[in-house]
Order: sequence, then C-alpha cells, then structure tokens
Amino acid sequence: MLFGKLLHATVARARVVKVTVPELPEGYFYVDAKDVPGDNNVNIVLDDTPVFCRETVEYIGEPIAMLCGPEEKIVESLRDACLVEYEELEPVLDLRRATQSFFDYAYGHGDVEKAFAEADKIYDEEFETGYQEQAYLEPQGMMAQPESDGRMFVHGSTQCIFYIRNAVARVLGCGPEGVHIMQDVTGGAFGGKEAFPSILGSQVAVAAHKCGKPVRCVFDRREDMEYSSKRHPSLCRYRVAVKSGRITAMDIDVIFNAGAYSTLSAVVLQRGIIASPGIYQVPNLHIRGRAVKTNTTPSGAYRGFGAPQTFFAVEMMMDHIARDLGVDSLAFKEAHCSKQGDFTSTRGRYHDPVPIPAMIEELDKVCNYREKRKAYGLPQSGRFRRGIGMSLLFHGAGFTGSGERDIIKAVAKLRKYKDGTVEILAASGDIGQGVRTTFSKIVAHELNLPMDRIICNHPDTARVADSGPTVASRSIMVVGELLRRAAEKLRREWVDGEEQEVEEHYRHPDYLIPFDLSTVTGDAYPTYAWAVNAIEVEVDTLTGFIRVLGAYGSFDVGTPIDENIVIGQLEGGFLQGIGYSSMEKMDYDAKGRIRNHSFSDYLIPTAQDVPNLQCILHVEKFPYGPYGAKGAGELPLVGAPAAFLEAVEQAMGGKSLHHIPFTAEDVLSVIEKEGI
Amino acid sequence: MVNGVVPSTLKEALEILAERDIIPYAGGTDLMVENRKNAEYLFLNKIPELRQIRVDEEEIRIGAAVTFTEALADPNVPMLMKEAVSRIAAPAIRNAGTFGGNLGNGSAKADTVVVEFAADAKLRLVSAIGERIVNVDGFYLGRKKLDLRKDELIAEVLLPKHGLDRYAYEKVGGRNALAISRVSFAGVFDSADGRITKLSAAFGAVADTVLRYKDLEAMLIGKTFEEAKHLKPEYLKAYDERMMLTKGRVSAEYRKQVCMNLLDAFLSKFGI
Repeated sequence: MLFGKLLHATVARARVVKVTVPELPEGYFYVDAKDVPGDNNVNIVLDDTPVFCRETVEYIGEPIAMLCGPEEKIVESLRDACLVEYEELEPVLDLRRATQSFFDYAYGHGDVEKAFAEADKIYDEEFETGYQEQAYLEPQGMMAQPESDGRMFVHGSTQCIFYIRNAVARVLGCGPEGVHIMQDVTGGAFGGKEAFPSILGSQVAVAAHKCGKPVRCVFDRREDMEYSSKRHPSLCRYRVAVKSGRITAMDIDVIFNAGAYSTLSAVVLQRGIIASPGIYQVPNLHIRGRAVKTNTTPSGAYRGFGAPQTFFAVEMMMDHIARDLGVDSLAFKEAHCSKQGDFTSTRGRYHDPVPIPAMIEELDKVCNYREKRKAYGLPQSGRFRRGIGMSLLFHGAGFTGSGERDIIKAVAKLRKYKDGTVEILAASGDIGQGVRTTFSKIVAHELNLPMDRIICNHPDTARVADSGPTVASRSIMVVGELLRRAAEKLRREWVDGEEQEVEEHYRHPDYLIPFDLSTVTGDAYPTYAWAVNAIEVEVDTLTGFIRVLGAYGSFDVGTPIDENIVIGQLEGGFLQGIGYSSMEKMDYDAKGRIRNHSFSDYLIPTAQDVPNLQCILHVEKFPYGPYGAKGAGELPLVGAPAAFLEAVEQAMGGKSLHHIPFTAEDVLSVIEKEGI
Repeated sequence: MVNGVVPSTLKEALEILAERDIIPYAGGTDLMVENRKNAEYLFLNKIPELRQIRVDEEEIRIGAAVTFTEALADPNVPMLMKEAVSRIAAPAIRNAGTFGGNLGNGSAKADTVVVEFAADAKLRLVSAIGERIVNVDGFYLGRKKLDLRKDELIAEVLLPKHGLDRYAYEKVGGRNALAISRVSFAGVFDSADGRITKLSAAFGAVADTVLRYKDLEAMLIGKTFEEAKHLKPEYLKAYDERMMLTKGRVSAEYRKQVCMNLLDAFLSKFGI
C-alpha cells in the first residue's frame, strides 16, 4: 500500500509554468493530469472540476499532483521539495466583485413593478452569511486498490458511493463495471462527503492506476479545513413592498459564493432560491439567484443545502419590517403564513397540511415564547440583557424538482437467504445518522422478524442497488419507503428455505405538478418537513459574549421511526445551526488563504454552550413515506440563525442586524457605534 | 512513543535535570498536543513534594504538580483562584493540568497566571544547587521567555494568605467550555478607614505577558472613595493610552474595549 500526498497550489490564481519534481527513489511516483487515462474532469453536476489542475490553478489548495510511495514521511518530504513556478494572475476573492456566474436563475409571478409603484412603504436590506465547516469526526480519506480481475476498488469515508462510481469510471475511461466503490465506516459527513470524495476518489484511482498498487490519501485536519468544501457564503438583497400592513411584493437577489469550480452549486442555489420567500404568501414575486465564481476553495454541500442562508435572510427581513410597522414579529409572520392548498413560490402547491400554527402554540407552551418576548421587549438596564426570537420554516424533503423521478430513479433490493435472514441492498450510507438501524427496523417490522435477522452492511456498488445518494433528507422518506414496499412484497412471496430477491422502484406521487427548471415552476418537493424554532439569549454588554439560555424547537418530520435517532438528529442539527449563527467564523485573508484551519481557530459549540436544548415532535404523516415519515436530517439546522439573531436584536434593544456569524466582537462594535 | 524518566523524589528529578536535555512534564495537556519529535520528558507528577498544598503563617503554597481539580477541592485555595481554575478547559483537562505547567508553558493566556499577577504571587524555583524565590511579574520576561534556568524547576506558587477576598475575575472565551481566553481579567481590592489600601488589575491574553501597571494603580491607592471617583476618568484614560495589545484572530480593538469595560466595572463593583 502506498501513501498519497497532494501537492496543493499556494496561490489563488496563476498559470502553472513548470513543476520541478525532485529525483524520486525507486517505488515513488509523481502523478498529475498527464496520468489520467480517461477524462481529467470529475463528474459532479457540470464537469468543470479537474482531477489534477489544468494549465492554471484557480484557488489556494487546488491539487496539482499527488506524490505516492511506501514511506509516508518520505512522500511528504518529496511533495514539499516539489518546486512550482507560477505566473500569477489577479484573483477574484470577494463575491461582490465576482463577474462570472456559474448559474443564474430567475423566476417569479405577478406584477412586481406595479406592486412597488403602489406600495405604502418599500424596504431594501442586505443579509450576509459566512462559511461553515462540516467538522466531521475524521477528515476526508479515500483508498484505491487495483484488483486482479482488472477492476478498480475505491473505498473510504463518503455519503454517495454511486456518485464516486460515475466519477471514477469517467476518469479511468472505463465503464461503470470497471470499478466498484464501498463506503467505509464514516463518522459524520453533513454534506461534506457528498461531492468531495468523488474528487479525492478520482485522484487516488488515477494514482493507483499509474502505480499499479493500492494508494490511500487521508487528509490531515488542516488540509481538510483549508481545502475541502464548506457551506456557501451568501449575500442576499431583499426589496419588499408593503401596502396596508401586508407584503405585496418581494424582489429578491441571492448570490452564493461558489468558489473556483461549480461542484454542487447549481443544486445548492436552487434549494436556496426556492426557500428565499420563506413560508409566506407573496402575491408578486421576483427572485434572481446566482452562484458566482471566485478564486477560493469550492463551496459545497452542508446540511440545509442553500436553505439556511435564505431562510435566515427572509426571516430577518420579516422581523425588520414588523418592527418598523410597530407590530409583533410573530404576528406579522403568522399573517402571511402559507396554508394547505396555497401556491408555493414556484407555483406548486402545499398539497399536505401546513402545521405551523399548531406548532407555534405547542412550542409556546414549552418555552413561554410570547410572554418572554413581551417582557424582554421592555427597556432593559444592567450588564446582561435578554432576548428571544422565533423562526418559522420548512425543508423540502428529497431532491429538488423532479430529481427523484428523472435523475435518481431510486431502486432498492432485499435479498432473502435460505436460513431466513434478509439483507438490505441499498446505497444509503450510515454517516452517524443511524440509517442502518432505521432501515433494519422498517424491514424487520414489515416482515415481522426480529432485528437480528436483518443484515445491513456498509454498501458496495458491486452488491447493492442504486437507491441514490445519502443526501437531501431523502434516505428514510424515499429509500425507506422502497424498502418497506420491498419487504411487503417479500412477505407475500416468502417461501421458507429458498433464496429470494425482491426489488422496488421509486414512484413519484402522481398528483405532483411537474417541475420545470427552465422556468423554476411546479412542485419543487414531494412534501415538506416543518419547524418552529425559538432561541433565548443573554448578551453581556461588557464583553459582547452571547450566552444561549435556551433553544427550543418543534419539528414535523412525519412519523419518527426511531425516536431516539430522530431526537438525536434534531438536537445535533439545531446545535450546528447555533454554531453557524454565533461562533463558527471562517474567513480567507487578502491572498485568499483560509486562516481558521484548526479547532482552536475555528470553534464549534460544545454541550456546555446550549445546556438547555429542547426538541419536540409534531407529527403530520406523509402518505408516500414509510409509515408517514418525511425528511429529518437537515431541517433542524435551517431555522437556528434567524431565531438566534432575532433574540440578539431584542437583547440589544431592538437593533436591526444583518449578518451571521454574529460574534461577541460584533456585539461590541454595534454598541460602540449605535449605543445600547 | 514517549520517552521519559519518572523520578520519585524532587532531589532525583533535579539531578537528572542538571545533567540532561530533558523537558519537565507536569500534566502534559500542552506537551502531548505538541508531540515534539524525539523529545525526552521528565515526569514530575509522581513527586510528593510537588503535589501538596500547604499553608504557613503568611502564604498558601501550591505545589507545581497540583492539578486544577485538586485545587478546586482544597479549602485553603482562595476563591479568586478557584474561579479562574473552574473555567479552565473541561474536566478531563482540569484533572491533568497543573499550576506549574500553566506557568512553565510561558503563555500570557494561562488562566491561573493572571490571578497570580493580580495577587502578587511569588514562585519558589529549585535546582540541584539551591533555590530562589521570585515575583511572578519578574518571572515573565517576554513572550514564551521565563526567568527559569535549564536546571531549575518551578516548585511552588506562593499566594498571600490574606487580602484576596475582595476581587473581580472575568474570562472571555469563544464558548463556554474548552475555550482559550481571548481576554482574562483579575482584580484585587481592599480598603480601610475609607481609603483604598489595595488595588491591583491584571490582564491576560492581550499581550506577550500578563499586563499589570503598578504605577497606574498608585494613582488611586491611599485615596478616599470620593477622591478615587473623581480620579477614575483620568485613571481609565491612562490605561487606555498605556495598553498596547498584540494582534490576533480576534481583533485587538475588540479585546482592548473589553479590557477597558472590565476595568471600569471592577472599580464600580467596589464603589468607585
């Protein structure tokens, strides 16, 4: 087995004139774009991400080559001895200065111009969000192993084995049968292992192909934090027309910083713009969304996938308008809230119940939101000031648009062995979300078998059906339902002592309005999971430190199949959202280098930071999910930023704030400028 | 692989230290993370002389290898020190981290050191050829520079037995646990017959060493409360002009503002 170490670019944008490689001892290899047997482009959405750089490098960290060899230390020193000669070009770092858009969508309805012309009042505000690092347990790591039958076996820490299969087959110039991919035990991913392992997997596969030996490449934490994908930073501008106390129009401009290559930005942006008017009815709407290119690390998937940025912006916008109109923020939001049967922002329908009003009441009982909101709204004095905020949101379960029907076309299988044990053959990977437990519970329940008769291993593309990637809060709702149906079928066809296999294919609910991406119209999601979040804070006016006194969430994820797992997901996601809002600050310097690349420079919350975290369930069953289950994975993160910042605004005496993370430093800077 | 020697007496440890290039190791909470290549460690955590908390006529003497958890459980350790210690990192690190290590690491962010500065603590340093007692502020020469010879060990921290009851302590970190201080503050105050008899203010994590300005403190010492209130703006302005903060990930402007806010609040707390 050989160790592979990547030679990363050290400048944000340059033509690579020459790489001088030191003399390599026997058994050591230098692998770059020239060694790619197939296509030097990684299959993601557009295929613009190179396996190894082309004639230019586009961000600090872009892989130029991989050094491979049997002794890790020697490989490292050879890598460090490589001399890269650059002809530097002017980089674009700031998303406000970006000129190139990878994706540019626009949609809307009604007569926005007329509504603005007739408005009593027009609001115009900008909202910004920063990077967020997934901070999973183990850093990125993949291994490729040439097999005796000529196939390439790639395995590692990942969410999406079939994505990697497609990428590696293309890079090696073979068909999908020429490779197989397995997920190893993966300690958290949060989206960070959705597309990135396709890139790293391609690199180790090319290296193993050249060296004729297994090659593994495991990032260290610094490498991972600097160079692997993170949540897209965003800038959203909202222009809102109000007449007679009601919103008549919104004109929304969403910009996401995609970084140097487009990777998953198309789909992240789609989810972001679809969520950008929030859960509200807006009669006249125009939305434009762009994912712009900058010479920074390519941004990627992270739990929530574009929605946390825009839900933050729209919820803050609603709050600011309400304050200006002198009405209660929650009442203002309730007055505009969508109901079952209403149109969605994409002219689809909320076919299923919208349980937000009931969830507000249920959460109010848990945290006394209304009473506290009133009390903290009175003038405060002293060192510590309190506030509470509330956000209302949905998360579309499953792929955006008709992706489940047209792109993924999920298939799942069950194989029954002669001894009566049943193996689940689906591609969903356990990434700490407990999918192996939940899948096994579904199949065991349907077959009326004890759990120990069900086998659910880490998936290998050579054995399992392509049930799609482990993303988009889809595993239980979509794949779980396929398994439930497969188990139902197997129960009917069950013959003792025989080996049997059953297979189920995805069925799109037939009442859905077809989604058209060119016009961004139709049902964007089969259904929605809903949440109401409240966060209560205490701000220290001397130090700026924001203490979270309580975080309370009501979540409708449909039927919880394993309640412990669901609550664990909700608490973890909520806490991640609070970190995103407050302490998780990551930025690049004037050269485009990310400086917060260790856990002492990039803080994530500990259990001590939100000791009082309460999540409750509200169940609206979805008829097309197993036993009524919907998506749960991403929902809990999405609403935290707005609830948090609304609370901080109230604690600071009703200031209008516009960005996250909102740190202690920001608190003092506002006090310094505006007083308290 | 960690190479090291585990002496069982202080004498043995000092003899080894005098002869070899070896790194004193008390709790290891920083050294183990550093993971220096080919280093040899002198483990001090099995030496009884360094593991005691003793009280004599004038002083509370905390052994260099006493852990933070042990100090928290000891009735003789002043509350001011306990407040600082209770907010260090998390229980697992407090179970291992020591007073000697916190000093020997040489960082101005060390949470016990800011208290030692404010409390006018002394340190007993020992070597195979003798011992000496130094003031903590003289011990810190600069960033990671200590008045400690290669053959010397920190044996004890000596805190005054009296006069630490009226104090202020603040730690500002990025989160509630496992947080390295961005600003720390310790202040000690006393008064008698309507006059200020003691006023010390120490700032941690803002410069190469802990900052304390005795000449500025002297502006208020000996004054009545009324006089001190009158002088307060001048006193704060003097600090504002004097304190030069080192740059960091968290801006110097922010940390300076926090220092000034905490100093102001410290005086207010005692009626100034």
